[in-house]
Formats: sequence, structure tokens, C-alpha cells
Amino acid sequence: MDLIQQALPEFLVGARNTLIYCVSAFPLALLLGLILALMSSSRIIWLRGPARIFIEIIRSTPFIVQLFILYYAVGAVLLTVKLETLDNAWSAGIAILAINYSAYEAEVFRAGFLSVDRGQTEAALSLGLTSFQNFFRIVLPQAIPLMIPPFVNDFIYMLKDSAIVSVISGTELTAVLNTWVTHHGSNPIPLYTLAIVLYLLLSLPISYVARYFERRLRAAL
Amino acid sequence: MSFVEPSVERRSLRLVKQKTDGQSDTPAWLTILNSLFYVVVLLAVVAFGYYLYTFQRNQGLLTLYLPVLLDGARVTIIVSILSLVLATIFGFIGALGRLARFAPIRWLAMVYVEVVRGTPIFVQLLLWYYGVGYVLSTMGFDPYSAAFQVMTALQSNSLVPDQFNAYFYGIIGLSFNYGAYLTEVFRTGIESVSKGQTEAALSLGLNSRQTMRHIVLPQAFRITIPPFTNYFITLVQDSALLSVLGLIELDHQTFGLALIQTDVGVKMFVFILGALLYLAICYPLSLLARFFESRFARAY
Repeated sequence: MDLIQQALPEFLVGARNTLIYCVSAFPLALLLGLILALMSSSRIIWLRGPARIFIEIIRSTPFIVQLFILYYAVGAVLLTVKLETLDNAWSAGIAILAINYSAYEAEVFRAGFLSVDRGQTEAALSLGLTSFQNFFRIVLPQAIPLMIPPFVNDFIYMLKDSAIVSVISGTELTAVLNTWVTHHGSNPIPLYTLAIVLYLLLSLPISYVARYFERRLRAAL
Repeated sequence: MSFVEPSVERRSLRLVKQKTDGQSDTPAWLTILNSLFYVVVLLAVVAFGYYLYTFQRNQGLLTLYLPVLLDGARVTIIVSILSLVLATIFGFIGALGRLARFAPIRWLAMVYVEVVRGTPIFVQLLLWYYGVGYVLSTMGFDPYSAAFQVMTALQSNSLVPDQFNAYFYGIIGLSFNYGAYLTEVFRTGIESVSKGQTEAALSLGLNSRQTMRHIVLPQAFRITIPPFTNYFITLVQDSALLSVLGLIELDHQTFGLALIQTDVGVKMFVFILGALLYLAICYPLSLLARFFESRFARAY
């Protein structure tokens, strides 16, 4: 229908913005998650305590609440110290996606590290490797194949949670959808269908990639 | 150890016993550092309590805002429980559809699961409320008036809240979404019970309905409970999204009260209070989920 044809360019731009949000936030989430995972398996409780508390709080509060707290409350605080450049929807959206998902990635990392046999670490230490070398050369290479399927699944979840960023942003696919629905209220169903099709086009190929990795992992085990 | 002389063996055993006898291998400085942390945490808790107390004493903020937020929390809990029940029904129907012998029903169920799991829940909620709700209201169906008439017959029509439409479509939207995830959970649970059980039950003379009820479902229950509780926790958090539809629940109250504050300190206070209430709901649920996981991971 011509409504879909009218809306298609803007919707495609919105889908591109969604992808930009997620592709920017996911590596940050992985990096933060790795740091959090290392902190929460430390012997020093000054690292372990705050890391565990942070992970528990992030996992127990809704995403939209964290988004609003970051954008409005932290934004207000940033205004008082003259850092308004950080107070826009792009920074807040990418930041909150990265912070929220770093808590989940930290749990995946920790599970991956625990799944590597302790004997490997003991052998490495008895052969004279430092803890640092042990981690990066022995444990992490064995843990990474196990962690790839959960990471890809988390990327799919992030694609879907990026829709919530639309409440503060105007450039995301759901935000574009909302503006079009309020303008063309008499016939909203084709617009929703278009948005759903675009989200499916974004997420289904990645879920096939996830299943490919899972199959390879199961064959290798 | 059998080729060592008895005296050497006794001595080495004694040494080993001395070393591991009540001694851990963390160095002393680390133990002191760790104990310092607990002291700091205790001081921080006392300071936080004092911070809350000063707000209460100076501006009566706690008595001012807490009842409103608790009312929102009540709405959140009610919506979550209703959605979970409806989602379980959807999930069960979906699982039966996925395992059906008639291929088109299987494909329909698979399309349901893939589409609902591949699109954001936010878009689905908007679709239900602004899309389906709008179309149905132009065709004359209004959940609010229908409920109002029903409750008038029961002589309690003041119980129908103003945002009943948001309740109605919000709960349906949430349940529809989580029904797809629970379909997969139930299907995995039912398929994980080995076929030998079904064959043995059928050969012992039970019909298929009895087999399901007495043999398959109790064993499938063990597998499905941990993901089920995890999805319940996520459902409680996703009920916060209903505030965009206008439903007055916990985060709607939090933002409504917090964003109108001009004082940054009070604004943060209200946000923290709202987040604490969410924590108070979700953290016990996650502890319960972990308890169920460990309980059902044990063998019979």
C-alpha cells in the first residue's frame, strides 16, 4: 500500500539508527562485562562487593527505569557541571544499553571462566605462568567458544531493548513508528506491520548465526 | 606414598596436617583489608539511613511520597501476576500447537513464536494498545465500557479504573509476548521427558491423557521451573513498559513525582526510592528463582 511506501524511507533510516545504537553499545557492554566479571571473581572484597552489588541492582530494575534515571537525573547532574554535551539521547541510549547489558555479560563471562577446568589453571601456575598469562593464554581462549552463543543471543535482546530508547530519542525505529502513527492515526496497522517486518529482518539472521554457532559448539564438545 | 619410609611418611603427614589445619591461604593483609570493607559498608548503611532521616525530618518526603509509590507497586504486582497467569495459558496452548501432529497448526505456532520473540516487546505493546485497540474502538468495542457495564450489574462499578483500556491491552500484550517464550520453555520441558516413559505408560494401559497428567507433566515440571521463574522476574520488569501506555504503575508514579522536582537532591531521592521498591520486588523473586534452580537441579 502507498502508506507503507511513503513511510518506508524514514523507517529504513530508523532501522539503521537502531543498528547503530546496538553495534556501538554491544562492544562497550562486552568490555565492561569483562571488567565486572574479573572484579566479581576477585579475592579482594573491595572489588568483588561493589561489582556484585552493581550486577544485582542492574538485573533487578527495569531497563526503562534505568534509562530514565540516567537521562533525567544524571543529565540534571551533568548540567550543573557544564557537561551538557553528554546529555543527548544518543549518548544516554548507548550508555544505558552498554551499562545494562554489561551486567548480563559479566554473568556469562563468569560462567565461561568457571566452566574451564581448574586443572588447567593449576597446571599453568605450576609451570610458572603468572596469573595474567594464565588468564589470557589458557582460560580465556578455552572459554570464548562456550560464551559465543549467549553473546549472540544477548545481541538479539539488545536489538529489542533498543526500542525502549525511543522514549527519549527521536531517531530510533520505534520513535519513527510512533510519530507516523500519531500523524496517520486512521490506519495504524500497516505501519506496525512494517516496523515488525523490519525488526524481524534485523533479528532473524542473527538468530540463525546464533544457532549455527550453537550447532558447531555442540558438535565440538 | 607406599615407597617412602614409615618415619618420613609420618613426618610429611604431620607437616601436611599442620599446614591445612584451620589455616587459609589468604595473606594477612588481605584479611585485614577485607574486614575494613565490611566496616565501610556498615558506615555507608548508617549514612544512608541518616540521609533518608534528614529528608524525612526536614521535608517529610518519605511520608509524602512513599504511599503513592506503594500504590504504584501494588498495581505492578497485580498486573504482573495476571499477565503471568494468562501467559502460562498462552504458553501451554502454544506448546501443544508446536507439538501437534497436524502440520499447519505446527507452522502457525512456529510463526507465532518466531515473530513474537523476534520483535521488541515495546513495539508489541504499542501495537496492541494503539493499533489493535484503536481499530477495535473504531469498530465499537471499548473494554472500559464493557467492564463498566459488567461491574454495574455487580453493583461495584467504581472499582473499574480509568485506565482500564491500558490494563486490558497491556495485560494481553504482555501475556502474548511471554506466552511465546513460555511456549519454548514448556516444549523443551515436555520433550525432555524421554519417550521411553510414554511408551512404558501406554504399554501399561494408561491412555494418552493419563500419561500426560501422571507421567510426563510431573517430570517436565522439574525442567520448566527455573526458566519459568526467570521469565517471571523479567515480566515484572517489563510491566514497567506499560507506563508508556498510560497505566499508573510504579515507574509511572516515580517519574511523575521525580521529574517535576526542581531540587536535584529531591529528584534523586524519589528516583532512588522507586528503584528501591523495584529491588524489593525483584530481588526476593531472584533469590526464590535461585532456590528453585538448586532444588530442582538435585536428582530425586
